[in-house]
Amino acid sequence: MAACTRGAAEVLSSIRAFRHIQHQNGRFISTSLTDLAVGGDGRPPKFTPPPKPVIIDKTQSEAPPRRFLSPEFIAPRSRTSGLKFVVERKDMIQRRKALNIPEFYVGSILAVTMKDPHASGKTNRFVGICAQRSGSGLGATFILRNIVDGQGVEICYEMYSPRIQTIEVLKLEKRLDNNLMYLRDALPEHCTFDFDLKPVPHNPTADVPINTVKVRMKPKPWSKRWERPHFNVKGIRFDLCLTPEQMEHAQKWARPWQEFDMMKHHDTAKLEEAIFKEVQAELSK
Amino acid sequence: MASWTYRFFRLTNPFLRGTHVFISGTGSPATVTRTTDSIGVPAAQFVRTIKSTTWFEENLTEDNASFMRQVVAEDFKQMTADKLYPLKDEPWPRQEWQEGSRRVGLVAIKLGMMPIWTKSGDRHVVTLLQVKDCHVIKHLSKEEYDGTSTALLVGGKDCSPFHRTEESIEFFRNAGVPPKQKVSTFRVTDNAIIKPGTPLYAAHFRPGQYLDVTAKTIGKGFQGVMKRYGFKGQPATHGQTKTHRRPGSLGPGGDPAKVFKGTKMPGQMGNKFETAIGLKLWRVNNRYNILYVNGSVPGHKNCLVKVRDTRLPKRAGQTRDLPFPTFFRDGDEELPEDLYADDMFQFGEEDVTTT
Repeated sequence: MAACTRGAAEVLSSIRAFRHIQHQNGRFISTSLTDLAVGGDGRPPKFTPPPKPVIIDKTQSEAPPRRFLSPEFIAPRSRTSGLKFVVERKDMIQRRKALNIPEFYVGSILAVTMKDPHASGKTNRFVGICAQRSGSGLGATFILRNIVDGQGVEICYEMYSPRIQTIEVLKLEKRLDNNLMYLRDALPEHCTFDFDLKPVPHNPTADVPINTVKVRMKPKPWSKRWERPHFNVKGIRFDLCLTPEQMEHAQKWARPWQEFDMMKHHDTAKLEEAIFKEVQAELSK
Repeated sequence: MASWTYRFFRLTNPFLRGTHVFISGTGSPATVTRTTDSIGVPAAQFVRTIKSTTWFEENLTEDNASFMRQVVAEDFKQMTADKLYPLKDEPWPRQEWQEGSRRVGLVAIKLGMMPIWTKSGDRHVVTLLQVKDCHVIKHLSKEEYDGTSTALLVGGKDCSPFHRTEESIEFFRNAGVPPKQKVSTFRVTDNAIIKPGTPLYAAHFRPGQYLDVTAKTIGKGFQGVMKRYGFKGQPATHGQTKTHRRPGSLGPGGDPAKVFKGTKMPGQMGNKFETAIGLKLWRVNNRYNILYVNGSVPGHKNCLVKVRDTRLPKRAGQTRDLPFPTFFRDGDEELPEDLYADDMFQFGEEDVTTT
């Protein structure tokens, strides 16, 4: 007991000194040492951890959220009249108000729960990497790939189907390519994702992280000749599976003039801008 | 107008059967003299030659040409506005529906296709048909038409009068409507006749009913028998001499000793009228006048199609509850922006119920 009181007296003096220093420095960090100092009961005071310091950094302005327009809103070049797209977009927005379809890219890991009358609990949940996004308008689809019990499984989901209950992005990232169908011929380690993967929090303002992994492939023959230039695959480690002669041979199918073909150029910037504004306005209503 | 040289010829009016127009010598169609007799005595037929071609603004100054266009556009707007309230404009008496009545149809534009889902989660595809500027143009009595039933001529989608003949423009002006791109004939019963000039809307059809859609199919030109009729052809190898896509045999041998009429052979494929029958109507949008019709419809995108109630015997009684003779927008009925079929999933409502 005597030791405690002696210790308390020392603490008190140190507190006084500490507070003196604090006031001298100008910054004030609130502590609950004052509570400790009171302790009139004689019992050891209940330890309350100090609150976390809140640092408000006023030097940087608040970053605007990332602009993202889902690719199925932009229709391919065709002779379809504009009214059809207007009417379809209305339906798409209406569905998006009921179901939150988050922002995701090819290469992100998603979890989709769908209504299934034959499953126990009437729903089934599938986790996989988004390998491809295709289609436009209400028929837009995305393919999720995973390897379950050693068997590769790809499921093609329609984004606007009423059978889909939730779409959750577990990991938001991009890859080097827009189309990851070559994962069919890649080693299984690149496509296996745990069904209980914890969602990784992503920043709504910064740029989407690009995963620059280059996958190792199974030995040839592959389902498609991924080394050929029209696939434009950047995410495969060709140096481990093909010789330089084979790579050169693949370049025989190159069409270098296509990048200069003006008839194939289609600038969708203005269209995208207009549609983005419309969609934002409607969704915020 | 193109100036034509005619040596002898016979020109039939596209809208009236049984009359013939004889034009003598050279000249614009303004010098037409019409004879309504002598159906069985045609003049000798031959080829017409185009001596020169002009278009309406060739001899006009730019100002005049743009003035013409402006005047015509205003004129059309005025004509359409005048016809917006048919029920106040001395309409013909509306009669009751009876068993066996046939009502008029519409002319629509094929916009494109879209998926839809039912309440139980099944997916179907629909074609969007937009009913644009659809007006009744003329009523033909039994005697005028073909002797068995009355007919109504309906036109859809306004077009410019500058590339049409004077007589066709006169035809539309008599009804008080702008010239239309397509005019269709609908055979109706006497109790379903409508006054010319009445506008027709998409709400004339209601979701849940079945329709027949007629249009000209996409032309594929002269095609062989494999594409045209799906014949199997012959193998690519194993000794076939110059025979890989041919029809093979044309029929049995010495007994008939002939090729039967109608034998499938290469020829023109497409670019002719076909009807898709028994198509369910899933949804009607009253703001843009769009019909959502099940499945696919003949014709290319933005082509004009003829839509009418189906003739299938199984769906005979469906017209009982439908607006008769047509839906009048200035009447009593107030319709919401969208009408849906009972089993269709609407995107705003709750999720699908699993069966």
